Amino acid sequence: MGDFAGLQLALSSLYAQRKAIDVTGQNIANVNTDGYSRQRVHMTADAGPVMPARFSIWTGAGGGVRSDTIERIRDQFLQLRGFQEHAAGQNLDQIRNGFTQLEAAVNEPSDTAIGAQLSSFWAAWDDVANRPSDLAARSQLVQRAQTLVSSFSQTDAAMATQQSQGIVQISAIIQDTNSIAARVAQLNQTIQSAVQTGLTPNDLMDQRDNLINMLSENVGVTVRPGQFQGTVDVYVDGTAIVRGSTAQTLTSTTNPNPPNNQQILWTTGTNVPVNVGGKVGGLLTTINSSIPTYRTMLSNVANQLMTQTNAVHATGFDLQGNAGVPFFVSTPTGVAVNPAIAADLTLVAASGSATGTLDGSVAQQLALLGQSNAANPTADDNYRQMVTQLGVDSQSAMRRADIQATVVKQVDGAMESDAGVNLDEEMTNLVQFQQAYSAASKYLSVVDQTLDALLNIVR
Amino acid sequence: MSGLRITQRSLNVSVISNLQANLSNMQRLQEQLSSGKQLSKPSDSPQGTVSSLLFRSSLSRADQMTRNADDGGGWLSTADTTLTSGLDLINRARSLAAQGINGSMTTADRAALAAEIDQLRSQALDLANTTYLDRPVFAGTAPGLRAYDPTTGLYVGDTGAVTRSVAPNVSVQVNVTGPQAFGTTVANGGTGDLFEVLASLSANLNSSNLAGIAADQANLDSVFVNMSNTLSTVGAKTNQIETMKAKVEAQKVDTQNSLSIVEDIDLPATIVKLQLQQTAYQAALSATTKVIQPSLVDFLR
Repeated sequence: MGDFAGLQLALSSLYAQRKAIDVTGQNIANVNTDGYSRQRVHMTADAGPVMPARFSIWTGAGGGVRSDTIERIRDQFLQLRGFQEHAAGQNLDQIRNGFTQLEAAVNEPSDTAIGAQLSSFWAAWDDVANRPSDLAARSQLVQRAQTLVSSFSQTDAAMATQQSQGIVQISAIIQDTNSIAARVAQLNQTIQSAVQTGLTPNDLMDQRDNLINMLSENVGVTVRPGQFQGTVDVYVDGTAIVRGSTAQTLTSTTNPNPPNNQQILWTTGTNVPVNVGGKVGGLLTTINSSIPTYRTMLSNVANQLMTQTNAVHATGFDLQGNAGVPFFVSTPTGVAVNPAIAADLTLVAASGSATGTLDGSVAQQLALLGQSNAANPTADDNYRQMVTQLGVDSQSAMRRADIQATVVKQVDGAMESDAGVNLDEEMTNLVQFQQAYSAASKYLSVVDQTLDALLNIVR
Repeated sequence: MSGLRITQRSLNVSVISNLQANLSNMQRLQEQLSSGKQLSKPSDSPQGTVSSLLFRSSLSRADQMTRNADDGGGWLSTADTTLTSGLDLINRARSLAAQGINGSMTTADRAALAAEIDQLRSQALDLANTTYLDRPVFAGTAPGLRAYDPTTGLYVGDTGAVTRSVAPNVSVQVNVTGPQAFGTTVANGGTGDLFEVLASLSANLNSSNLAGIAADQANLDSVFVNMSNTLSTVGAKTNQIETMKAKVEAQKVDTQNSLSIVEDIDLPATIVKLQLQQTAYQAALSATTKVIQPSLVDFLR
């Protein structure tokens, strides 16, 4: 070992400890930064030349410490799982929100919603039966029928609005997704260049992981290592949205063919819908499946109300002794009270006989339609069935979302536990590296003194 | 190092999410307390929601049946009062007929009696045209304002039944028709209704036809018996309606109770839960202040 090698050794130690103190400082600075992974200086002992050569026989203790790389502590497998769980969490959240809004549209149980209005509609028939000649009772009946059918159309309109809002929301999220994908591609490029020049762009990798997590929350992605070192490829439904430094874009369109559902396509691709997850997947489930199901159920109830009322009403006779005309009629937007009846209240066919015009037996039969019938479910029964179904669906969506939220929390916790910054640890490290730095300085001064002593001999 | 590494951030996140959970429980309990309902949307309890909808619908139906029963009761009590007055009127006519058959009466006396009988007949026609809420109660289901023509005394109503649904699947006829109350006309194979008999009595009194008066007396008796039978039917129906109405109202109270059990909160239990929740929240807060603050930074100088 050369006499001056000790100086170099001391220098390498001073460098390494300084670097470690700097990295500790960086960790402390980012203790509250979202998605920051803690970093460590990777120190290895410099063993000195191992190949013996002529006039070069290594007899020393070692060459000091190497500290070229700074490690980023992050478990990539945990990270991949995190992407998946976050996507599933957002997906279930959206489905749950969809049901919550549907429940708000239906607004049961209440004294004012369709359930109560059906009851008061049937009760109005009894009032007509009690006073067949009284136009006030007939007017009340027609008023209540009109309120009832407008409630049906209002509830349907609320669901339709929810559907169109969902479509707007999807387009916004898809736009956001496209811009995030472009940024991931850009980061891939930057990281690739940095890695090729021997740098460790840890903070850029953190940034990229954050962006991919956002992508996954939006549409659900899988991630694989890219072709070049340092890059990653991101896939949606098996097709790369980011490959190396290039990104594809998605677009949201309404299917021109029945069932006219909303679908996601690749901008430059075939018309095969992309099966997306995440928020967009949840919204698609809501607007393509949940809402249409309940709109159909609601319109079935309205149609049943129409057919069952009209069937009995047709057997009756109005105040002039003419057979009953349809009470409800079908319109393009749903069911309405027959405008002829609304205009001429005497057309309400309450009587069971063409001559006994003050009879109310048919009105009484109509009032009985409101009673529950297990063997042959009435409109009321089917409406209750619909509300129960909605409750069950909403409840199970809520439970699934709650369970997934716990899973997401656990995965986030595990990731944070692995990659997060603990201040106690950093403070301990700080003390440790500071001590090491002082010790290295001391060593330097000892080496200096020995050299000094040696040089003074020849004076 | 073994076990889970805990970091300041994970501590913060879990503290915040626990406090959030506490707060959201408090909010839910507070909502329940202020609304008094534990069932505000179908997903709170799908089973409870369907019960609640069913109970609400049967309550509304019960309300309507009570209204129907009240209306039916009105019809029957109108018929009851009218028929009671009718019986008094027949009694008066019978006593006049008994006077008229007396041989010592002069023609002028009988003419005076006949005039009173005519008076009674027009009163009887007024009674027969009694209305309830603008409908003649003895006219069946016929349209029109009268059951009997006030000049000819002929029945212009029909035999239709006026019924009221007073309980589930129970429909009670609440009217009696003119012929049921006032007797059957000769034309229809009877011994004459009240108005025919009174008209004939008046004619016989005027013509001092004693045999005719005696026959009219007998016919008056049969009209009387017929009317009192009808009156007892009316009474029986009134009873039936009252019983049914009481039953429906008892059921209404039961249903109201069941609805309240399904929808309403248990007040004491909810208040206790809220208290517990508040205690838990305060405990969490005070634990948080102790956990978040210290780190090694506080102790290194």
